[in-house]
Amino acid sequence: MIRRPGRALATAALAALLAGCGGGQGGGDAAPSATAANTAPHAQAPAKSVRPLARSVPVGLRIPALGLDTPVMDLGLASDGTVEVPPVTDDDRAGWYRHSPTPGQVGPSVILGHVTVGRYGDGVFRHLARLHRGDRIEARLRNGTAAQFAVTAVRTVAKADFPTEDVYGDVAGPELRLITCGGPRDGEEYRDNVIVFAELSATKGA
Amino acid sequence: MRRTILSAVALACTAVLAGTAPAFADDPSPVPSVPAERAPSSTAAPTEAAPVPSVSVPAEAPTRAPADGQVSVVPEGAADTGVAGPADTTGTDQGLVGAGAGGVLLAGGAVLFVVRRRRAAAAGA
Repeated sequence: MIRRPGRALATAALAALLAGCGGGQGGGDAAPSATAANTAPHAQAPAKSVRPLARSVPVGLRIPALGLDTPVMDLGLASDGTVEVPPVTDDDRAGWYRHSPTPGQVGPSVILGHVTVGRYGDGVFRHLARLHRGDRIEARLRNGTAAQFAVTAVRTVAKADFPTEDVYGDVAGPELRLITCGGPRDGEEYRDNVIVFAELSATKGA
Repeated sequence: MRRTILSAVALACTAVLAGTAPAFADDPSPVPSVPAERAPSSTAAPTEAAPVPSVSVPAEAPTRAPADGQVSVVPEGAADTGVAGPADTTGTDQGLVGAGAGGVLLAGGAVLFVVRRRRAAAAGA
């Protein structure tokens, strides 16, 4: 009977250690979940009731649901044929792929942004996977007009299985694609891409 | 006897703390995670950053002809739109878990050692 206090103390110490181990797993800063933000598959239905806009380069992008308002730069192709991405800086911004239609034109207009920018922290599209079907996206164009889009789907796909046709293929009306990285990390790389599909829902100043 | 147990527990806790410390260690001079992806300063205006390739390994210039579709040139592959930094906590979490597991093993061994010693002492008395 005299031994019990000692054993109890040792057991308590062991339990405390076990409890302490569990705490290290909760505060991860991984990219948004690969599946939680997914919505229904992209529908190919065109935006029927809204007249397309004339070609004008996008200069700004606003997503009220994320509290995001960013300038938009031009992006082209890299030397290896992949799409360019915005520079890794502390004033991260989105970039429009210049070989795609401008927002509001018929076709898939493609805008890219970082999910994280290395030591600078969160990228401009850090929370893109939180968007849901129906959320609004507004692209401001250089000619003073603006194209408003409604989200139709948010997909998280492995980079190895990037849906090139779904993203860059022809569509019947004005559409928008927002692309960033997501999913678990493998070293400094993210495994997945998060892709937001949206259709033109309204225009301003046209 | 109680002093023996307390000494064993203190030893175990010290071992756990020693094992955990490296997981918190931060690189005092962080290196940009992907230097090749930084914008080339020679081609950019001072106030406007230039876009960068989405992959860090340059390849041969593309020889692709423009497509007939709405996207005139379809890029190859996926977009590399995420550069992880040293501030990200995933690696630190793994270190913490590993250190914690090691600490538990040490503590368990210490407790077992103490119990066996006490039993041996009791049997000898």
